[in-house]
Amino acid sequence: MSDKMKNIIDNQKKQQDEPDITNLDDVMQLVGFVVGDEEYTVPILTIQEIIKPIEYTRVPQTPDYVLGVFNLRGSVIPLIDLRMKFGLPSAKQTDEARYIVMKSGDEVAGFVIDRLTEAIRLKKSDIDPAPETASGEKSIIEGVGKQADRILTILKVDTLLERDF
Amino acid sequence: MDEFQEILQDFLVESFELIEQLDQDLVELENTPEDLELLNRIFRVAHTVKGASSFLNFDILTRLTHHMEDVLNRARKGELVLTPDIMDVVLKSIDMMKAMLHFIRDNGTDEGSEDIEDVVVKLDAITSGGGSPSAASSEAPPEPEIQEASVEEEEVDYSDMSEGEIENEIERLLQMRQDEDKARRVAKIEAGEAVPDAPQIIDEVVKEEAPAPKEEPEVEVAPTPSPTPSPVVEKKPEPSVKKEVAKAPAKSAASVEQTIRVDVRRLDHLMNLIGELVLGKNRLIKINDDVEERYEGEEFLEELNQVVSIVSLVTTDLQIAVMKTRMLPIGKVFNKFPRMIRDLSRELGKKIELEIGGEETELDKSIVEEIGDPLVHIIRNSCDHGVEPIADRIAKGKSETGTIGLKAYNEGNHIVIEITDDGKGLDASALKDIAVSKNVISEKEADNMGDKEAYTLIFRPGFSTAKTVTNVSGRGVGMDVVKTNIEKLNGIIDIDSEVDGYTKIKLKIPLTLAIIQALLVGVQEEYYAIPLASVLETVRISTNEVYTVENRSVMRLRDEVLPLVHLADIFEVDRVFDGAEHTYVVVLGLAESKIGVIVDTLVGQEEIVIKSMGEYLKGMDGVAGATIRGDGGVTLIVDVAALMQMAKSLKAKPAIAQAASVAKVREKPSDYYVMIVDDSKTDRSIMRNALKPLGVTLVEAADGLEALNILKSGEHQFDAMLVDIEMPRMDGYSLAGEIKKYNKYKNLPLIAVTSRTTKADRMRGVEVGMVEYITKPYSPEYLMNVVKRNINLTMEA
Repeated sequence: MSDKMKNIIDNQKKQQDEPDITNLDDVMQLVGFVVGDEEYTVPILTIQEIIKPIEYTRVPQTPDYVLGVFNLRGSVIPLIDLRMKFGLPSAKQTDEARYIVMKSGDEVAGFVIDRLTEAIRLKKSDIDPAPETASGEKSIIEGVGKQADRILTILKVDTLLERDF
Repeated sequence: MDEFQEILQDFLVESFELIEQLDQDLVELENTPEDLELLNRIFRVAHTVKGASSFLNFDILTRLTHHMEDVLNRARKGELVLTPDIMDVVLKSIDMMKAMLHFIRDNGTDEGSEDIEDVVVKLDAITSGGGSPSAASSEAPPEPEIQEASVEEEEVDYSDMSEGEIENEIERLLQMRQDEDKARRVAKIEAGEAVPDAPQIIDEVVKEEAPAPKEEPEVEVAPTPSPTPSPVVEKKPEPSVKKEVAKAPAKSAASVEQTIRVDVRRLDHLMNLIGELVLGKNRLIKINDDVEERYEGEEFLEELNQVVSIVSLVTTDLQIAVMKTRMLPIGKVFNKFPRMIRDLSRELGKKIELEIGGEETELDKSIVEEIGDPLVHIIRNSCDHGVEPIADRIAKGKSETGTIGLKAYNEGNHIVIEITDDGKGLDASALKDIAVSKNVISEKEADNMGDKEAYTLIFRPGFSTAKTVTNVSGRGVGMDVVKTNIEKLNGIIDIDSEVDGYTKIKLKIPLTLAIIQALLVGVQEEYYAIPLASVLETVRISTNEVYTVENRSVMRLRDEVLPLVHLADIFEVDRVFDGAEHTYVVVLGLAESKIGVIVDTLVGQEEIVIKSMGEYLKGMDGVAGATIRGDGGVTLIVDVAALMQMAKSLKAKPAIAQAASVAKVREKPSDYYVMIVDDSKTDRSIMRNALKPLGVTLVEAADGLEALNILKSGEHQFDAMLVDIEMPRMDGYSLAGEIKKYNKYKNLPLIAVTSRTTKADRMRGVEVGMVEYITKPYSPEYLMNVVKRNINLTMEA
């Protein structure tokens, strides 16, 4: 009987939710930024905010790329250096460096990037899944966006926010 | 799904609450079997659980509660007298019911939880053996039957029904349940009215059945719990009234107390908000201090001061008020112990009396939930190992009945729970012998142990004084659980004992977990917060008071030897600054162990709010969380339990060590690095040209500050520095002073290159640690040779 009840309740939920889905635009908005020599993008909806670098506190026993934690209006948020995470040599932060605060579910973390580029609108049909070689469970690439003159790497925020140590 | 979960949650919450009171009632019932009110209450619990569980399709649970209900129903109608034997079966079935509810909570189903057949048969035997079914059963039994029948009937239909129909069915079932509730309420009232006649019947039955117990040999044990009623009765009024009001507001208007049920999450949220406020307050106080300094004597300061102190006062009050809403009386935990003692004393053939005190003492809900398990283990231990068998007690001239005391009281920001027994006590030397024979400690360690330390051996995993493993204890697990749980709460355990006299275990637990007092300490340039609850004291020692014993740093603290660990080693802080002559030791105590933590500075005491660092950084070793300081920065909170664990496994390294500099391989002259610090570009070029023939790598800095930054960045390891004295921002003397603060640059040759030639200047140069003093102008060869000598360059470019 309990299974039945669950079914009913689930179905009711679905009916309530469905109308919203149909309204969704088939355009994806992305934010582009540079780390090292490469440009990457993340879906705009995964970004909570972008802030200028502020002071952070080191957390012991973490990998190099976890710089520490910082205070974002009362919340303590981990700070991750994307350069080091991507295996690039560390470089001095310039004035253009920013922290991008990304979230997925309850998970929030700040990522240090070299500089922001632009916000990009892309048709969903112009986005291909990640290439075979770079796909899989642990891949940090969500897909590849095609634009007239270039190719955009879309990062998988879920994986970025996953603890892998 | 969610809705179903919600119903299930409600069911579980309700059931657990009901059961809590149940144990108490049952033990009491054994002493006053004719108490109809009590019987009714117990019956109602079984009935409610049965009704709800059949609705939720927990068949096994329904079956069990149904049979329990039968027995209780007969008892409350006076057809059955609850002898200790019957009571055992009933208690057993209730235990099963509890186990099943736990199982349901964890697994969402009761299938495969418990084997109830045995108990059901026993219950049946009682039902059928106790007398013939009476005609008076018209009132209660039909009710459950109808309910059950209907549920079963529906169930068959479900598979064939369309979803719409099922929804209607659910409506109907809910309606039915409500009706049923209503009917029950009516029945309750009727039962209440029936009370006047009932006692007579029961009296008769009791008289008739009175001789029966004689055939039971255990009867004499039955009175054991009799001393309990006094605390039990005392305790009753408050919690029970509250609970009743919350649960069944319709019951009586007379005892209505203004309480409402609040979701714990809402309280948690409120607590979080208060936390923010406390942080804001801390910040305000800091700003106020700064402003005070800057605008000293200004009139508006007075006003600002007043506002700040009012805000901080109100915040503190508010915090306490919210904390109180989360507080529960510890009696909630103590409630289950009379029953436990009764069972244990029966099982062990001992006479044990439980004295409860201070059950109205309140503490945070989260702590109340954690404290139950450790207390169970401690009390089991006291019953089994502490209190001696009757014969032994008589031989020792003690009274037959052993006493276990359970007492709670407040002490500052802590609550203290004391568990005492008047049993055989702990024998320190015997404990040591056992520990040595079980390889828990070495003989040498045993020799160095004081009595108090020896008592703490009982908390080591795998340690047990029991010669045989019994049902009750002896496996050496229980006390380890105690330790772990108390550690989790940042509590402290203290044991006191006297052979053949008493054993007293004191648990000291912080009142709340969310907002705590902390001691802020500094290590090099980092700060950490240590929960004040774990800080026993702080001492300032000179570095030569630190001894090394078996590769571990220790110090003597009065008559104790205290193991030491440097916080920098725990948190991998680079020790760049030189250790001063004196250093601070924070003595930490947790559960039963102690450790000294060496820190560089003590900053002060502050009220901090524990913030999680999110899933991403959860569970980092040694870090319990983070907090936000008055200046907006984040400070990590030390996890004292983890720190102690880490200290044990830490590589044996002298606490105050010389940082060993990594020897760099130098194969060619360009592997040598020399820094030129001079504000004049011309001078730098002259030096550069002079040193060119050496072939060493040169790095330039235009002033002291820049030089220091280059050095700190660690990009290159320098072999020497040429320093001008007169420079903007930071002069050569200050630069040398700064550099010499760092341990690893102790031996870095600093060569002054200056036009200052007086003796005083030279002296000053030596004082700050310059090794050479070159006066401008100089010949290129001279400079080259000085540098060459100082960096021990032997090869040719």
